[in-house]
Amino acid sequence: MFFNLSHLIFRAKQGGVALLHGAVQFIQDIPWIFYIPEKMQMPIGNFIKWFNALFNGFFKKKKTFSLGLYGNPNVGKTSIANRISLDWTGTEVGVVSEIPHETRTVQKKERISLRVDGREITMNLLDMPGIATKVDYRDFLKYGLSQAESQQRAKEATKGIVEAIKWLDNVDVALVVMDATQDPYTQVNITILGNLEARSIPIIIVANKIDLKKAKPEKIREAFPQHEVVEISALTGENIEKLYKTIAYNT
Amino acid sequence: MAIQIELIPSTVFSGKEQDEKVRFILNMVRRDKILVLEATLSPVEEKLLIEKTMDHVTKDFPGIEIASFGEEAVDLKSKLVRFLGGRMSGFTVVGPSNLVKEVKRDPDKLSLWAAHK
Repeated sequence: MFFNLSHLIFRAKQGGVALLHGAVQFIQDIPWIFYIPEKMQMPIGNFIKWFNALFNGFFKKKKTFSLGLYGNPNVGKTSIANRISLDWTGTEVGVVSEIPHETRTVQKKERISLRVDGREITMNLLDMPGIATKVDYRDFLKYGLSQAESQQRAKEATKGIVEAIKWLDNVDVALVVMDATQDPYTQVNITILGNLEARSIPIIIVANKIDLKKAKPEKIREAFPQHEVVEISALTGENIEKLYKTIAYNT
Repeated sequence: MAIQIELIPSTVFSGKEQDEKVRFILNMVRRDKILVLEATLSPVEEKLLIEKTMDHVTKDFPGIEIASFGEEAVDLKSKLVRFLGGRMSGFTVVGPSNLVKEVKRDPDKLSLWAAHK
C-alpha cells in the first residue's frame, strides 16, 4: 500500500492540535472539576499559540492574514493604511485629519494582495483607532469643534480605544506605528508591545514621519532594540517598499 | 488645594486577581489620588486598566496618566517569568490626567508633573 508521508504528518498535526484544543476546551467547560486560575489562563493560551505556530510553520501556509495598525493617536496609522491600500487596490481606507481620534472605529480593507520579490501574500488590513490613556473633550475645542461636537467625539473615541484593545488578541501581524518626531517611550507603546509579545504576535515597528526635520528614528531603535524598525514617510512614500518587504518576510 | 499621593506596598496586591487590582487602582485614582505602586503591572493588567478607564471617562475624569519602571525581560529567566504570567520588580505611578500633567520616563528615573488645572 502506498503511504503519502506529508499527508500522514498533516493528519497527525491536525489530530494533535484538535486533541490539545479539545482537552483545554473540556477543562474550561467543566470549571467545577478543573478550575484554571486566572493567572494560568494566559500561559495556557500562550502554549496553544506556540503549539499552533510551531506546526503551522512546519506544515501549513496560512492563505490570508490580518495586519493591524496600532499606536498612539496622530502617529499616521491611517496615512500608512491609505498608502498601502492605494498602492495595491487603488482605493483608500479612511480619512486623515490633524484632529486626534479621527479614526474611532476599526477600518477594514479585506483581501489586499501584495507581490514582493516573487512572493504573493494576501491580507486583511485593519486600521485601528489610536490608543490613549485619556480622552479630554477640551482638547478638541482647540481645533474649532463646538462643545457638543467635542463631547461626542470624545465619547466615540473612548469606545474606539476599547475596540482597538479588544482586537489586540486577534491580529496575525501588527504594525506598531510611532511618530519619529516624538518620544517613543510612552506607556501606550509599551502596553501595546507587551501584549503583542505575550501573545507571540509578530511585530514590525514603523517609525513614521521621517520626512520631518525633527524626526529622530534612531530613538525608536534605541528604545525597542528587540524589534525590527522600518523608517518611512507615509506622506512622501519614502522607504515604503522596504515596509512591504518586511511585511512579506514576516508572514 | 493639596494633592494627595499614596504609596501602596506590593502586599496590598498579593493574591488579588487582575480585575480586583484594576478596580482598586481606578477607585483611588477617580478620587483624585496619585498612586505610587510597589509593583509593575503585567501587559494584560495595563490593557485592562486602559479599557476600564475608558468606560469611566467623563467631563470631570478624562482618564489617567501612567508609567511603570521595572526590570526589562532581557535574559532567558526573565522572559520565562514573563511568559508564565509573572512580573519583575519595579514600581508604577498612576494618577488622574486632570491632576497629572505628564509622566516622563528616562533610562534611570520617572519624573511626574502634577498640578490642579
